[in-house]
Amino acid sequence: MLQFFPLLFSAGLLFLLTIVTGLLPFAQAPMLAGQGVLYDGIASTGAANLVTAVVLGYRGIDTLMELTILFAAAAAGSLAFSRVRRSAGLIAEPPYILDKAIGFLLPLLLVTGFYVILHGHLTPGGGFQGGVLLASAIFLPVLSRSSAQLNHEVISLIEGLAGVTFIVIGLLALYQQGAFLQPLFDHGVFGSLLSAGSLPVLYLAVGLKVGAELAGLLSTLAAEGGEDGTA
Amino acid sequence: MALPDAASMMLAAAVGLVVIGFAGLMMSRHLYRLLLSLVIAEAGANLLLVMAGYRADAIAPIFTADASMPIGMVDPIPQAMVLTAIVIGVGVQALALAMIIRIRNHYGTLDMMELKARMQDEFAQLGQSATLPSKQEQTDAQ
Amino acid sequence: MLNDQVVVLIAVPLLLAFFLPVMARRCKLTNVIAPAVLIAMIAVAVSFLFAFEKPFIVELGGFAAPLGIIFYIDQLSLWMLLLIPVMTLLLWPWQSLYQGSDRGRELALYMIMVAACSGLAMSGDLFNLYVFYELLAVASFGLVISSDKGMAYLAGYRYLLISAMGSVMALLGIAIIYFLTGTLTLAHLASLPDQLSNPPAAMAFVLILLGFGVKAEMFPVNAWVPEVYQATKTRVAALLAGLVSKLAVIIILKVVTLVMPAAQMYSLLLMLGLAGLIIGELSALRANTLIQTLSWSSIGQLGLVFIAFSVDSQVGLMAGIALMLHHLLVKPALFLIVENWSGSISGLTGFAKKSPLASILFVLFALSLLGVPPFPGFWAKYLLLNGLLEADGGLYQFAVFAVLAMTVVEAIYLFRIITTLYDMDAAVSKPVVATAWTNRLSILILATGLLAAVWQISPLADALAGVAAQMQDTSAIIQLVAGKQGALQ
Repeated sequence: MLQFFPLLFSAGLLFLLTIVTGLLPFAQAPMLAGQGVLYDGIASTGAANLVTAVVLGYRGIDTLMELTILFAAAAAGSLAFSRVRRSAGLIAEPPYILDKAIGFLLPLLLVTGFYVILHGHLTPGGGFQGGVLLASAIFLPVLSRSSAQLNHEVISLIEGLAGVTFIVIGLLALYQQGAFLQPLFDHGVFGSLLSAGSLPVLYLAVGLKVGAELAGLLSTLAAEGGEDGTA
Repeated sequence: MALPDAASMMLAAAVGLVVIGFAGLMMSRHLYRLLLSLVIAEAGANLLLVMAGYRADAIAPIFTADASMPIGMVDPIPQAMVLTAIVIGVGVQALALAMIIRIRNHYGTLDMMELKARMQDEFAQLGQSATLPSKQEQTDAQ
Repeated sequence: MLNDQVVVLIAVPLLLAFFLPVMARRCKLTNVIAPAVLIAMIAVAVSFLFAFEKPFIVELGGFAAPLGIIFYIDQLSLWMLLLIPVMTLLLWPWQSLYQGSDRGRELALYMIMVAACSGLAMSGDLFNLYVFYELLAVASFGLVISSDKGMAYLAGYRYLLISAMGSVMALLGIAIIYFLTGTLTLAHLASLPDQLSNPPAAMAFVLILLGFGVKAEMFPVNAWVPEVYQATKTRVAALLAGLVSKLAVIIILKVVTLVMPAAQMYSLLLMLGLAGLIIGELSALRANTLIQTLSWSSIGQLGLVFIAFSVDSQVGLMAGIALMLHHLLVKPALFLIVENWSGSISGLTGFAKKSPLASILFVLFALSLLGVPPFPGFWAKYLLLNGLLEADGGLYQFAVFAVLAMTVVEAIYLFRIITTLYDMDAAVSKPVVATAWTNRLSILILATGLLAAVWQISPLADALAGVAAQMQDTSAIIQLVAGKQGALQ
């Protein structure tokens, strides 16, 4: 039934990890770097949400790489199904309730998604979270109506343009201010929607990219069938 | 016995999730279950990472009308790190699903033991063929 | 400043990668533009190599460490920044299964791999290294499955599972280190030895080692190597074995020298390296096809690299870097040569008659891999043995014996292959497939590189000594970063 060695290994791992986390200084974060961010965040970036200041400012290149990881995963996923013939659509006959409910939810999801994206520098949220909401908004019609198909060309275009926007803003900062992905533009009025310089723009690009990408990926994964004609 | 406070329980939860995930990775035979075990392990690791910034009696690192002093806020850096790590996990999981679908299409099974045996057979066959790779495979190989 | 422009070596390939799927659909230029960008990157890397002699720092976004991310670029980084586009260009997929925007996606994955490798060569921040490593992982998954064979998907999935398991371990390790210190900059961590000399830190280090060791083909997380190298295109295997594994080794090197240069960690590295070496070479002896042989040999050679880095001295560092760069040159060449030599080794009798040039080149690279003078492989192993003899500890003495024994094993299987190839009496059992001219050009370029290394061995050795000295000078690194630190500590 349950094999002996994996269980032994898991027990050992549990023991080790418990001891180690017990020895860690919990709830007394040394905050060598964090303290500086707390004190310096507003002056450097103008964002009220300091996590956004870290994500797009202090560690902006991590965010760019994270976007690229999603892009690479979506590209590899599309590549996996490119030579396979698959049938379009999911549901032969769209259920009435599903159809109407999605029609009701769709505008709500879109509005909430864009709200979360655009307010990323003021309240918890941001491009990734809002992007996932947008992705579900874009993908839901595919679930409800068999005729609805995502236009993968447009999705690739949005993906590409949004990614390029992110890098172009970064390169602009490189040539204007001297450092890649340095926060640009005026910081504006603190706490208002149009504050924090280039950060909302970056998050908008992130949100659109994530939304388009995830919707495209879901649609690729969801298509039926697959006659495997390869070796 | 007094119950441990919520924060310590979360540490225990993080460790528990990681161990369950690793146990699943080692014991499962179904491809999809392996992926799910991975998801659980990643969740545990992310939970542990986000708690690295926790300070007792501190608030979220967001400046609002009420909170304007930087003292008493948790560390924002682990939160940013976990955001990145979660998104990375999602990307990897999506790609894994695509691979699982193709494996199922090609081999017709999702059992890891059987698949591994078949793959070893294919490798052994590669080692015995005295025939040349066909023209198609040759251009494919480039 | 000129310094900051190093980042274009990451930004430009990514820019192209984002464009490629859209562009490949309409524009016929895509087949040309990606290699053109690579050539431009080579030019930029060469100019940086001549412009900078001393290590320097780039602050991403203008934020000083430890608040922001810094890139620490020393001589080894500059060499890697040059070698990455060169090797990618030599192993470029000139022909492919895909058309249209899918071809664009395949090429985008290559460009993403290039960007990730460049980032790994430069980064000086622990979490940033993790993110670049994940990017490299996803790109390599995509490359593995781009050969669109059923077994490629299966081997790729098993590789994904091991790699993701390693990533969870690395993330746990990073979490523990952050719990203990609150900072992620490697140089900053180097200046905090007190907070890092306790059991949790040791466990964190082991977790990070195992996590990043997946790509570095370290024992025990290298089960994926023979499967993936056989299942996917030979060219992709060459890239993974030659280029990607080296970047992973560099991460481990950075973490070991800066974060935890403790004696126990070096011993652990030594043991893992010995295990990799012995298992790899002995399995190569039993291998049936050429690709299997080369995969196991790859594991063995990387075991040698870890053994070299486990010696805590300048000679050890020199030997490790020399072995690393030598393998980066030789292994892709060998993979390219054997690309069309499929089937069991015994079926290759007399091949030398039909493909004399390829066989001669195979002999050339095999001799260097083995460590026959005057090839660079000999000097690298010589440095390694020197370093091992100087180190004290029973395990190091055993390592000397192991390295020599495994060299004998290598000689056995390599000469077995060569004698089969040159078996002049037997009839050639199968017709020979002609290789594309791009392949031949790449192999010839690599062969020229090898011979140039033979000729210029002395200046190379001096350059290596300089690189090793730079890496060892931890206090100078800390000073450099501390001098640029923000208003903290």
